[in-house]
Amino acid sequence: MIRSLQQIGLLTAKDLRIEARTRQTLGLVVVLGILIVTVLGLGLGSQHQTGSFGAPAVLWVAYLFAGVLCFEKTMGLERQDGALAGLLLSPIDRGVIFAGKLLSNLVLMLVVAAAVTPVGVLFFGFDLSPAPGGFAMVMGLGMLGFAAVGTLFSALVSSTRLQGGLLAMVVFPVILPLVIVSTQLLEKMFREGRPLEASSLAMLVAFDAIFLVASWLLFELILEP
Amino acid sequence: MSAILALIDQPSSTAAPTAGHVEAQGLCKSIDERPVLHEITFGIAPGRYVALLGANGAGKSTLLKILSTLTGPTSGQLKLFGQPLTRDLASVRARIGLIGHQSMLYHDLSALENLEFFGRLYGVKNVAQRAMHLLETLGLAHRAHDCVKTFSRGMTQRVAIARALMHNPDLLLADEPFAGLDAPSVAAVEEVLAALHGAGKTIILANHDIGQSLRLAEQAIVLRRGRKVIAAPTRALDAADVLGEMQAL
Amino acid sequence: MSMLRTTFRSAYWAIAGLSFGATVYAVFNCTPDEATMGTIQKIFYFHLPLAICTFLSCTVAFVGNIAYLWQRRTKWDDLSAAAANVAVLLCTGVLITGMIWGRCAWGQWWTWSPRLTFSFLLWLLYVVYLMVRTSVTSPQRRAIVSAVYGIVAFLDVPLVYLSASLLPDIHPGHVQLAPAMQLTLAFCFIPVTMLAAGLIAVRFNLNRRERLVSDAQQSEYAAALPFAAVGGAV
Repeated sequence: MIRSLQQIGLLTAKDLRIEARTRQTLGLVVVLGILIVTVLGLGLGSQHQTGSFGAPAVLWVAYLFAGVLCFEKTMGLERQDGALAGLLLSPIDRGVIFAGKLLSNLVLMLVVAAAVTPVGVLFFGFDLSPAPGGFAMVMGLGMLGFAAVGTLFSALVSSTRLQGGLLAMVVFPVILPLVIVSTQLLEKMFREGRPLEASSLAMLVAFDAIFLVASWLLFELILEP
Repeated sequence: MSAILALIDQPSSTAAPTAGHVEAQGLCKSIDERPVLHEITFGIAPGRYVALLGANGAGKSTLLKILSTLTGPTSGQLKLFGQPLTRDLASVRARIGLIGHQSMLYHDLSALENLEFFGRLYGVKNVAQRAMHLLETLGLAHRAHDCVKTFSRGMTQRVAIARALMHNPDLLLADEPFAGLDAPSVAAVEEVLAALHGAGKTIILANHDIGQSLRLAEQAIVLRRGRKVIAAPTRALDAADVLGEMQAL
Repeated sequence: MSMLRTTFRSAYWAIAGLSFGATVYAVFNCTPDEATMGTIQKIFYFHLPLAICTFLSCTVAFVGNIAYLWQRRTKWDDLSAAAANVAVLLCTGVLITGMIWGRCAWGQWWTWSPRLTFSFLLWLLYVVYLMVRTSVTSPQRRAIVSAVYGIVAFLDVPLVYLSASLLPDIHPGHVQLAPAMQLTLAFCFIPVTMLAAGLIAVRFNLNRRERLVSDAQQSEYAAALPFAAVGGAV
């Protein structure tokens, strides 16, 4: 168990080190997220037209597209010069590879969220002060489920040597429940001013648990050097 | 030579009684319903140096992939180190090293970082020391901190060999390790393989150059269109005969 | 043997056709009009069986996916593909009947109500399944990729249902059915289920035959390879 955790840490540290050195993914993805928020902000008009409660949905759109690009890139790291074969040859559990990639993706997604959320909140005049912690928790849980499915499918899709929109196409329909639940929860919290109920949060947690377990179990079957 | 022997004196990550024993029984492999390997049966005793020969598309790389547990056979049995392959492949994988067509290295990391990463993954002790030692032996110590993407083909291949040796494997599988190397690099790699053989490691070398293979190895297995056509000691074989067998219809 | 099969098939489709005719007759002549919505409510007699059969097709696809990953026999992949095709077809019917019902009953073609949203998301999930299959060229890889996606998609179905139920339902109300209506509804299941099962079987056989043809072509190609193996790259 300790060994597995150490190995996960190794894999994540390796990914983040490469990212820190090349800086190719993060810059691209953050700028894409900000651009999406900008386009939607301009297109949907001023704050008066959509209301500030459009912000969570707009942020989700930004996270989804930025996230998918992010997952493609982190999995793409393993495709260069057969690095994935090197991992598969070593005596580590396939689930450890999944967990390592998931953690790398999560870290990158959190950085993106930290950069893009303030922009969205600002452009849409969304007042976070009633429940900033609740917002963070709901979005965080949503992102966890998204990253789990995204990591699984990025491995699935990258081995078909056919990327582009394919990853977005497979991930989006599957994680729509997360988007629905989190936007509904946030609407209840901010528009109606109701506190975050444990039962609603439990639904998000349950969804995440299902996605995490299913992705972890299925990951082993799809890795191909 | 002594430097190379020294790198093998490091304790391997798992000490086991029967090292490097390979037993294949009726291995078949189909990829997309297309048969690639057909009824491959052979046995390799511990410490043998075996050359795997065959034309392009004969199935050498596929066979090595199966032996390295990267992929499974469609049918047939494989025993490594005297044990059939079970669910727990980790202990088997810790004793196998593969040098493939691709370097399996991260180009944005330095040579040293790559070796340390894989070393830690395999649970090697004194990772940094061993990595530097390997790089010194292979003549790359002066470039240890440079990113692999700045390396030439020969240098990348040498780092790839170092990666395969980090965990001191009992069975080394080499898939055309000399491809694209200049003469000094070829000599260096031949020397490393010979030293490993001298230390009792089992080596299976897939190679294009028939003459070189017959010179280096003790035994040869020749594949033709996925079938084994020759399995004999190299001293009993002639390069011309082997070529003839490979080309026969 | 094949004459028996042909006879069976003809009989099967004849019965399906007849029962469909009988159902339509029953729906329009034997059941009373619903109090609030009138004649248009009769579309429900087809909407519900279509929905249930969609879900059954999805389940068949799921079983095929799991079986493929377990046994790696191509027939399971062919079954899943057939079932997914039929699921998309039936779900299109669910969406269309649902939208017509919504339009006639409440004046809107589309609302983000739980039922409509669920139908649409289910449709999306399985349309993407079909798209994934066309995107992968290698048959072995295609089978694994679609099996994994299929399993995740099916596990997602209850999640979609639960999350869609959170959406505001502008048109609540569960219709209470009179006994005559319940009987007709039960009767409507017969042609729809026969249609679903029959289509899956037809599509499955088509997939099997296509695979046999492409396998035969592969072996011909492999047999003609003698000169390619020497000195030429594969």
